[in-house]
Amino acid sequence: MTGKPVKVKITYCAECGYEPQALDLTKALMHEFGARLSAIEIIPWESGTFDVSVDGELVHSMRREGGFPEHASVKSAVRARLDRGSHV
Amino acid sequence: MTLDRARWDTGITYDAFKAAMTRNQERFAENEGRVVLDPETVRTFKSLPQRLRVLVLAEDWCGDVIANLPILGRLAKEVPTLDVRVFYRDQNLDLMERWLNQGKYQSIPVIVFLDENFRELGHWIERPASVTERRAQERKKIFAAHPEFGSPDAPVDQLPEDVRARLQAELHRMREATLAFANSEVQRELRELISGVAV
Repeated sequence: MTGKPVKVKITYCAECGYEPQALDLTKALMHEFGARLSAIEIIPWESGTFDVSVDGELVHSMRREGGFPEHASVKSAVRARLDRGSHV
Repeated sequence: MTLDRARWDTGITYDAFKAAMTRNQERFAENEGRVVLDPETVRTFKSLPQRLRVLVLAEDWCGDVIANLPILGRLAKEVPTLDVRVFYRDQNLDLMERWLNQGKYQSIPVIVFLDENFRELGHWIERPASVTERRAQERKKIFAAHPEFGSPDAPVDQLPEDVRARLQAELHRMREATLAFANSEVQRELRELISGVAV
């Protein structure tokens, strides 16, 4: 069963030059999930931010976890959300 | 890592860095135009008894580089005995390793004063702590005055787009309002750094 499409938001510090990491993650999610995502929103921000949320749930924060997220962990969070959506 | 004449010559001049910028060139030029040099800063550096090499680690995408490197650039125009060479951080990680912020962060800009023989006289990293502190206080005030911005620690992606845009505008205004203080603090730290070393 296919779950309800989920939305991913990537907030990155534009002043810090984090565009490549934001784009790499976007590309990885597009390849992995395609139309199972309703949207990927990329938000240029500041203050050393690199946050990723899946359907409103923060799954990675540079301030909280330190560093950039592993693509695998973000994919896993998206997969879990899709699975949850398919069981409601 | 050896810093010698051959390595020094791989650095580029301040003007060459400006010319090679692939982004933020306008902001950089605007910031440079708005730098007000404190006469005490110019006097301090002009009074140095010998020519100084000034090694800079920078990248054109970095906000602190865009904000603070123009101060050094303007100073070097006034003080011809400052020989500034810029090294791109990501192409010179061995240099970066030598001047890590708190021993672990690759913060830029890094400004290193060296004598003719490449002996380090002192270095300065990123931005003054006083500026970080002042801006954090001002940021708190913004959030206190605008409950619609939510918690300062909450992810901004939770804010509606229009609210997020207003928050961004407020933060921009705050940075503008603290610009003169920030520039003055950078100069104070550079003066103190160079005054504190025997040249």
